[in-house]
Amino acid sequence: MIENNLLSIIIFAPLAGAVINWLIGGYLKDKPYSETFSGVVACGSIAISTIIAFMIAFGIGTSHAGVLLTGGPPVVLDQIWTWVDVGGFRADFALGMDRLSGIYALFVTFVGLLIHIFATGYMAGDKGFYRFFAYLNLFMFSMLTLVLADNFLLMFVGWEGVGLCSYLLIGYYIKRDEAREAAKKAFVMNRIGDWGVLMGIFLVFTLTGSIAFYDKTVDGTQVASALNIFAGMGTEAFSWGTIFAGGITSVAVLLFIGATGKSAQIPLFTWLPDAMAGPTPVSALIHAATMVTAGVYMVVRCNAIYQNAPTAMFIVAIIGAATAIFAATIGLAQNDIKKVLAYSTVSQLGYMFLACGVGAFVAAIFHVMTHAFFKALLFLGSGSVIHGMHHEQDMRRMGNLRKYMPVTFITMMMGWLAICGIPIWAGFFSKDEILYKTFAAPNLPEPWNYVLWIVGLVTAVLTATYMTRMMWMTFFGSERFHETLPDVSHDVAHGSVPPAVAGGLTLETHDDAHHDDDEEDHHHALPPNFKPHESPWTMTVPLIVLAVLSTVGGLLGVPYALSSLVGLKDVNIIEHTLEPVIAKVGKKDGHAAPASKPHAAAGGAGLNEMYAAVEAPKPGSAATELHDAHSPEEIQTERLLAGLSVLLALSGIGIGIALFGKTPLRRMPKILEQKWRIDELYNGYIVDPLTTLSREGLWKGFDLGFIDGIVNGIGYFVTEVGKGLRQVQVGFVRSYAAIILLGALVVLGYFIYYGLKLVG
Amino acid sequence: MDFISENLLTILILFPVFGAAATLAHQLFWKQESQLKWVTLAFTIVNFLLSLILLVDKGTASANGFFFEKNIPWIRALNTNFHFGVDGLSLWLVILTTFIMPIAVLSTWHAVEKRPTAFYVFLLLLESAMIGVFVSLDLLVFYLFFEASLVPMFFLIGIWGGENRIYAAVKFFIFTALGSLLMLVAIIALYYAYANIPGGLAAGTFDYVVILHAMKLGTLKIAPATGTLLFLAFALAFAIKVPLFPFHTWLPDAHTEAPTAGSVILAAVLLKMGTYGLMRFNFTLFPEASRDFAPLFIVLAIIGIIYGALVAMVQPDIKRLVAYSSVAHMGFVILGMFSFTEWGMQGALYQMLNHGVSTGALFLLVGFLYERRHTRQISDFGGLANVMPIYATIFVITAMSSVGLPFLNGFVGEFLIMVGMWKSDALTVTATVNWNYVATMLAGTGVIFAAVYLLWMIQRVFFGKITNEKNRTLKDLSWREIGLIAPLVALMVFMGVYPKPFLATSESAIKAIQERVVHQAGGTVAAVENLGDADAKPLPPSER
Repeated sequence: MIENNLLSIIIFAPLAGAVINWLIGGYLKDKPYSETFSGVVACGSIAISTIIAFMIAFGIGTSHAGVLLTGGPPVVLDQIWTWVDVGGFRADFALGMDRLSGIYALFVTFVGLLIHIFATGYMAGDKGFYRFFAYLNLFMFSMLTLVLADNFLLMFVGWEGVGLCSYLLIGYYIKRDEAREAAKKAFVMNRIGDWGVLMGIFLVFTLTGSIAFYDKTVDGTQVASALNIFAGMGTEAFSWGTIFAGGITSVAVLLFIGATGKSAQIPLFTWLPDAMAGPTPVSALIHAATMVTAGVYMVVRCNAIYQNAPTAMFIVAIIGAATAIFAATIGLAQNDIKKVLAYSTVSQLGYMFLACGVGAFVAAIFHVMTHAFFKALLFLGSGSVIHGMHHEQDMRRMGNLRKYMPVTFITMMMGWLAICGIPIWAGFFSKDEILYKTFAAPNLPEPWNYVLWIVGLVTAVLTATYMTRMMWMTFFGSERFHETLPDVSHDVAHGSVPPAVAGGLTLETHDDAHHDDDEEDHHHALPPNFKPHESPWTMTVPLIVLAVLSTVGGLLGVPYALSSLVGLKDVNIIEHTLEPVIAKVGKKDGHAAPASKPHAAAGGAGLNEMYAAVEAPKPGSAATELHDAHSPEEIQTERLLAGLSVLLALSGIGIGIALFGKTPLRRMPKILEQKWRIDELYNGYIVDPLTTLSREGLWKGFDLGFIDGIVNGIGYFVTEVGKGLRQVQVGFVRSYAAIILLGALVVLGYFIYYGLKLVG
Repeated sequence: MDFISENLLTILILFPVFGAAATLAHQLFWKQESQLKWVTLAFTIVNFLLSLILLVDKGTASANGFFFEKNIPWIRALNTNFHFGVDGLSLWLVILTTFIMPIAVLSTWHAVEKRPTAFYVFLLLLESAMIGVFVSLDLLVFYLFFEASLVPMFFLIGIWGGENRIYAAVKFFIFTALGSLLMLVAIIALYYAYANIPGGLAAGTFDYVVILHAMKLGTLKIAPATGTLLFLAFALAFAIKVPLFPFHTWLPDAHTEAPTAGSVILAAVLLKMGTYGLMRFNFTLFPEASRDFAPLFIVLAIIGIIYGALVAMVQPDIKRLVAYSSVAHMGFVILGMFSFTEWGMQGALYQMLNHGVSTGALFLLVGFLYERRHTRQISDFGGLANVMPIYATIFVITAMSSVGLPFLNGFVGEFLIMVGMWKSDALTVTATVNWNYVATMLAGTGVIFAAVYLLWMIQRVFFGKITNEKNRTLKDLSWREIGLIAPLVALMVFMGVYPKPFLATSESAIKAIQERVVHQAGGTVAAVENLGDADAKPLPPSER
């Protein structure tokens, strides 16, 4: 067990930055140099994290070899303190960097640093400059805690922490109604997912007696890794019943519920597009590159659990593929440049889960990484566009921007090529890997692997189409900065836009109509002599760096089938690096593993083959193992499929140009513009009924009506009886006489009754 | 120093009484009403400092497991004594009480206009009664303190409360007093049960330690049916105090009408008397009945968690919203206790402290706002973050603590409670369903709802534009107010990040109670031997 106390600096530097910016930055906020101060503190703290992450990952200046390098330790730990230790339930505040968290830490800190630098330009002149960077640094602290945590509970701390920061940053423009609404929605939807993570952690603890990720010894106490225990547990059969059985599949499903919340998958995805109400650097950092991939991180971190839970894997694959295509269709019809990118993010996250679901965990992480590069680039590019357009986000009022913003244009083209999947750009390799692995997935019951593969291909076409639409609407065609929107009257005629909004000529789609606002960040009609402008260097330099990464970043993971085309072998660095963190399930006792019984469960036969493949103990290095896994036919198939996806990507671009090249404002189907009306569905069938039930049924009905009714009723009864008794003593002789008569009758009746009873 | 240490608990109880006397005397001789708050403040702060001796000068526990134990004879004919002592369960509650009092006094620095003398005298007497409740080991004395705490609170609500204060005060008094009357009957029954031990001394006792000891030895046997009745008599008193659904409706009224100091004390300390009583007396004196009734309490706790959250969501009044959130949070405490696991019970105790800090802080914050605007309707606000940024920040932090965000205090408590419930065997486990899991999952939804109601309220009160012109001139927090709330915020962070000292202090006491309630089969000798055997399974119902 190797310890390195530098590890904690990776998380505490941003925390310190947040605190300094909050306290001192807030104090200095009216000084002329306040922005410089806040910017330097924020970027400096992230730079420290980045440097240290690289040091530990590559063994620069450390006493041990780099974590990511061959011969490096499997994990570097840093025990800080014991957080909770009650009755055998132990959660340390301890960090660990293995190859998975190492890769994550590298791109989170590095992309984070670039986005911080970009943000100093983008947010210049904002009143809450210091506050923005305090939140952003706090986010980095949470995200890095999530990634580097050495146990489930600390990971959950980061998990909730990024949710909080996301809440604060989405709601950053606090005066805007849609911002505060979106912030709350994001937090609540994340919380629904968090419920799953919490329950999952309880079950992990119940099944293994531990919540740690790594085996270690702390102060003489042995702490066992829950994940290793899961890896040795054996695979559960494929059956829907296992979801509720309280075993390993239940753990996997519960954790995945959390992933759907954090990573915006069906059914908890609707918060992410709304989250675009936050400043654009936030969208790039949190809602594209890092936080939303936390769900993928968790699933890959727990791959030992998922590999042993084929039912859960199947669910993950289905949800991922469904989300990918569903979000892509919505992305086709959005007019807000950030909304297009948001749905694109949801869709790409779907790909990553599809990869996890077919057991291609490495491909998932690879796509997380390339996506972080090209989506951060696209978001920052859109930020640059929005900045240059004085906070106009509606692509219907853009056009021909390549003339005014050449750097932004060229860099965004790189991102566009990457996301469309054009070879050699980064997205091609990672997406293609996912599609191939889906096609060849041994764990999916046939024909599900083909179905999901086709869904993935269609999504790839859609992706290329909507991205092309976005690029053409923004950078090509006529300049529409001053045009009134042609179809506003159309919308009013159909009654879907409040006349006030249309009359005010805020050229938004009706469903995200901005309300007029006195904030500077907000768009009003552009002045007549308006010309867009290129952004300052603080914004373009990060764009250029990310453009380079989006172009060449994919070369880290070129599969054997493709690299061998140009005579290169063994260049799939990402696969080699991540290989050790993918658990070899069931390896403990080979003969007892379910793989030896391929027909154990109907429908699960295919699943078991995968374990046979994963498990197959091959002598020699990891590299030979990988090569052996590819037979010549497989290599042939992989090459063919790669060619097919390039063709499809090109045709997607072609469709995009054909449809939107000449008519960028083409009307799209209403149901797509309205995002399949999912928000309306949730509000109408869940939120509103629950609110009504609470208000009318529980509060007014039960609390005030029933319980207080009884209490007050008793009080009323006592009072009334008292009043009634008082009535008796009013001093009228007649009533006294009547009462005497009544009493006499009662006494008489009593005697008669008993007399008769005695006689009878 | 030795004198103080030896008589510490007595001093802690009596010191506020002296304070009350001093306040009265000050008013009589100097007639300077404006100085009264300083006198009161001084006494509460000194009492807080004194209570810290509980932590530093603990020494070793007596044979009964209590620290600072003191037994002062009172009424010999009834064999009732001022028997005081603290253990890990009550220690933090005493400190919570003394800690909250100066804050409560400061919270009403400018707000008390009528009869300040009486106000401060009641506050001090209330402190005395609350400490008495937590340290009394004599059932009759406990009962007297329990009832005595009602009176000052009744007047605090009834005299210094809001518009509907009389209704709220009477409701508060009737609910809680009715419940505790049955407890008195049960206490007397225990007295006679002890007196009637065959071959015993034929003298009854109210001493909890003596009665418990006799039960553990098996000399004092209580028939199961009687045990059930006595359990219910105690439990009713405590359940109303907590308040457990469906006895909760006094709480929103009392909270809403009470002055800020009253609300803070009510939430922070008074409610804990109920959960404390259940854990201290019901669990140890009637372990069998506790186990039998655990499913009922768990179900009610879960209903309380979800119900409280849903109703909180639709409240138009901020203070009422916080009051309903209390119902939900106290549901968690009950849930943890009745899981009968170390996690759950430790979590329950921790959550009592957390709730005291967080909800106390929320009531303080609502009080600050009320002093400025004299309204608590959510619809009267909006966009306050623009004019009161510090206030908004602190409010959001406090709300996050209440929501149970990790690294703030609420999370540790709620998490331990849920682990405890998950691993509990208080509920049935069938071949297909483990009801303990189901209970935890349902309780877990309370965590989601907590985010909904608090964030929705925050969104409407603090974010957006200023919609009401009256709010445009609101002043941000003063230094006094910041100083008041800052220790609470600091505690939220500290308790969330480093819970170890708190949990370590309570560990042995909680374990003792847990072992008693889980393993004790009605006071037979055989079961006593089980005490030290942590692995012993609870007996199935047929063998109890």
